[in-house]
Amino acid sequence: MKILVAVKRVVDYNVQVRVKPDGTGVETENVKMSMNPPDENAVEEALRIKESGKATEIIAVSIGESKCQETIRTALAMGADRGLHIEVEGIIEPLAVAKILKKIVEKENPGLVLLGKQAIDDDCNQTGQMLSAMLAWSQGAFVSKIEFSGENIQVTREVDEGLEILDLKLPSIVTCDLRLNEPRYASLPNIMKAKKKPLDSLSLKDLNVDITPRIQQIKVEEPPKRQKGIMVSSVEELLQKLKNEAKVI
Amino acid sequence: MKTQARVVVIGGGVVGVSTLYHLALKGWSDVVLVERKELTSGSTWHAAGLLPLFNMSYSVGQLHKYAVKLYKTLEKETGQDVGFKVCSNIRLASKKERMDEYHQYAGVAQTIGVDVNFLSPKEVKEIWPLCNIENLIGAIQHPEDGYIQPADLTQALAKGARKKGAEIYRGTTVIDINKKSNGEWIVKTDKGEITCEHIVSASGNFARQTGSMVGLNIPVIPVEHQFIVTEPHQEILKRHKEGLPEMGVLRDSEGQWYMREEAGGLLLGPYEKGAPCCYVNGPGKDSEYELFQEDLERLEPHIESAIFRVPAFGEVGVKKVYNGAITYTPDGNPIVGPAWGLKNYWINEGHSFGITAAGGAGWQLAEWIIEGEPTVDMLGVEPRRFGDYATKSYLIKKNEEAYANVFTIHYPDEERAAGRPLRQAPCYDRLKNLGAVFGQKFGWERANWFAPSGTPQVDDWSFRRSRWFEHVGNECNNVKENVGILDMTAFAKCRVSGQGAESFLDGLVANRLPQKNGRVNLCHALNSRGGVHSEFTITRESDESFYLVSAGAFQRLDHDWIKRWIPNDGSVQFENITNSIGVLVVAGPKSRDLLSRVSNNDYSNEQFPWLTSKAVDIGLAPSLAIRMNFVGEMGWELHHPIEYQNHIFDNLMVAGQDLGLKPFGIRAMDSLRIEKSYKLVGTELSIEYSAIESGLNRFVHLNKGNFIGRDSLVKWQQKGFSNQFVTLEVHNITDADALGNNPIFHKNKVVGRATGGNFGFRIKKSIMLGMVDPEFSSVGTKLTTDILGTKHPVSVIKESPYDPDNKLLRG
Repeated sequence: MKILVAVKRVVDYNVQVRVKPDGTGVETENVKMSMNPPDENAVEEALRIKESGKATEIIAVSIGESKCQETIRTALAMGADRGLHIEVEGIIEPLAVAKILKKIVEKENPGLVLLGKQAIDDDCNQTGQMLSAMLAWSQGAFVSKIEFSGENIQVTREVDEGLEILDLKLPSIVTCDLRLNEPRYASLPNIMKAKKKPLDSLSLKDLNVDITPRIQQIKVEEPPKRQKGIMVSSVEELLQKLKNEAKVI
Repeated sequence: MKTQARVVVIGGGVVGVSTLYHLALKGWSDVVLVERKELTSGSTWHAAGLLPLFNMSYSVGQLHKYAVKLYKTLEKETGQDVGFKVCSNIRLASKKERMDEYHQYAGVAQTIGVDVNFLSPKEVKEIWPLCNIENLIGAIQHPEDGYIQPADLTQALAKGARKKGAEIYRGTTVIDINKKSNGEWIVKTDKGEITCEHIVSASGNFARQTGSMVGLNIPVIPVEHQFIVTEPHQEILKRHKEGLPEMGVLRDSEGQWYMREEAGGLLLGPYEKGAPCCYVNGPGKDSEYELFQEDLERLEPHIESAIFRVPAFGEVGVKKVYNGAITYTPDGNPIVGPAWGLKNYWINEGHSFGITAAGGAGWQLAEWIIEGEPTVDMLGVEPRRFGDYATKSYLIKKNEEAYANVFTIHYPDEERAAGRPLRQAPCYDRLKNLGAVFGQKFGWERANWFAPSGTPQVDDWSFRRSRWFEHVGNECNNVKENVGILDMTAFAKCRVSGQGAESFLDGLVANRLPQKNGRVNLCHALNSRGGVHSEFTITRESDESFYLVSAGAFQRLDHDWIKRWIPNDGSVQFENITNSIGVLVVAGPKSRDLLSRVSNNDYSNEQFPWLTSKAVDIGLAPSLAIRMNFVGEMGWELHHPIEYQNHIFDNLMVAGQDLGLKPFGIRAMDSLRIEKSYKLVGTELSIEYSAIESGLNRFVHLNKGNFIGRDSLVKWQQKGFSNQFVTLEVHNITDADALGNNPIFHKNKVVGRATGGNFGFRIKKSIMLGMVDPEFSSVGTKLTTDILGTKHPVSVIKESPYDPDNKLLRG
């Protein structure tokens, strides 16, 4: 079985994100970029499945500008077998990503597609679900555990009431939660070896996908600056202020 | 926020906060610091925190030594733990040249009192069991250094400064700086204005933007530096469990990286080729705690070297790669001291080893601000050591080069290639065709030596005598036997004139000014403590005009010094004429013959005695001939309007053909000057030694009336001197002469240090100049020195071993 893992290049989670002065987006020039953290869980899980003998090949795919190849290399350094880069300029909406992934799935025929539950830049949380709908495959979102049983997988997801366990028929789409595992760090020899692993690049033309945006972004602005706090001298004063000034209790 | 303060420090990195701390420590409590974001949020926060004492420079070495000592006491003083781990530092060597460098450095360490040990590969293995010692030949260890937590250090200094009354305003951005007519500064911030007496610029990555507010082109541009942190390694965790000490900082100089333990894992920092400058136009307005995209690809050879040396490093995963900005200058040393052309504006910028240097730089700058002078010779970090040639484009090339060379061997005769050729005297191409191998000083191309035909026109750097040694010897001998020509266009030149020029200059220098028109004197400007600041050759052009020549490397420094003291009543004018005057030196017994052939003037001793000058024609071109030189032969310096240089050069070369006229270079000049015990600013002459200790008695007239430094010098004399300039002969030399900074021992005690050294080809002796305890300064005293790890006997000899009575000069 092949596993397809989708990885996204995003502003590193440690970076204090700044809005561009013209309000068209956030600053990415000269900013450290990394793999979207839940995507790291997806890669890690794929590796563990392969290490347990249930998968034969892991393909890391990323969609975006040419620098996304660095993100694919990170997945390859962690242990993925080969990479696939779809070169696209500008912002790509989840629907477009799902359409592109669908084409890749049709081409590669994986038994399992792993994605992060959502990206930390746009927080959309849509791609996995859309892809599942388009392919008419089973889906498990926000998954914190995957177990194989015969032709199926059992996935655990955290819901408000507790844990929900689903039995999914393969092939399936699974989006990964941060609790799923602890991603490994690639060692330097593996990082260097990753450069020699195959990485193919495809253009939109090759895939014949329409990615015309459906959403118009009007403006990006920073949240209002936090007001300076005040020091209270007693619990009574705190309660009084919460009641009378903040009116929250 | 205060609206009035004695000093405003701009920038809350470790360097700014240390400056604030030291100002407060010295009793100036009315001092404030403004920081646009949070303390450390520029480069301090992502520094690896290493405290390398290793530095080839005598002055920078002293700053580092002070810092390490200070940091050890901070926790006790402020209650803030600074995370100082004294875990020692080992530098590995896998080739002989590297060991030479370590031995040369060990001399510096011994003269400033820093402990070092030499280790065998086996001893390295005992301390660093994870280190593969294959192909190592040895190592040098600093038992006293280690690393520190940069943010905690900054907080401790801030705490200490606040305790003493200093104030720190975070979230306060400087928008503009203005000068009031009474000389005070107004620092305009987004939170209001502060009027102050002094400003210290310690703005790190923002150095150029801060400088531009007062019209300064600060020679600082940051370079990207990366370091890699791994996850824990079993072997290291096991060591911790067993209670074994940290292995310490390991530096593989050939691999160009440092490594240390970090939270059970390893931290690797390589200095690779190709690291780009960053923030070329300054960081963004909102920049804070900023890191760049890592680029492991350009680190690859260093990573491979690290895995070879410490295989464990490749066995664990990479937890994090930091890629952040470190400020750089063209020579890799910081700039600490006064700004040029501005009063009470101070610079503490360009720190590439800011954590190590902050303590000492803050200490000396505070002394400079409060007491008017530093106590350590700061030439190595002097802001005025660069000039107008250091354009932004030049800085990009040179700073990237400086970064790539952090770990290369720092040969004494090293000349780096980037940004060259830049400033060229008109005769540059002619010299090049004659075989010149050039170096760069203050942007100028200067011929270091001449490769005869058949010898490749490339330099050969070494701590020992190298390929050029023989050729330099031939140049020296030709000057002795025949006549040599030397291009000294790089000299700094200026004219001081006006009704008040004479009395002004008389108060500036320790020697008497030349009295008759055309006379020439060597004069030294002392600093207010009585040490030597600058050396000028002063020619009296007329009653109200003087022509001053000084070392090319110190153009901005020397000229700034003059301008600083010039009375502001308009009675004295200053003009920098460096770039409009060329200088060719002809020296040797046949120089008189040579000049007589190309000139209608009389060069006889009667008509043109030593230390006089005259307007002459050379060929058809006008020139000022000054009868003096730095090599100890009969000779003249020809100072000419620069456009005539090639005309003069060609006339001399043609006329000198059958006189044996040949060019000589700076390296020959250095050998020749050492045989005459001639001193240089920056080596023999320094603010750390009084003018009299430096052997300038003949040039210092304490009774001539007041001059800068006179009173301090008299007091110093009454207190007694602790050093004396001496000339020494070095015995048992094989292939290496003294280079300077060699310790001088009496029995096993260090009693002095070499300031310079060379082989004297005319006297066929290896000579060393130095400063020793006066007790050991009398002629005939037998002492010892260390040259690259080998002990040599030395003996004090009479000054000027070549032609001690100056008969040739006056001949």
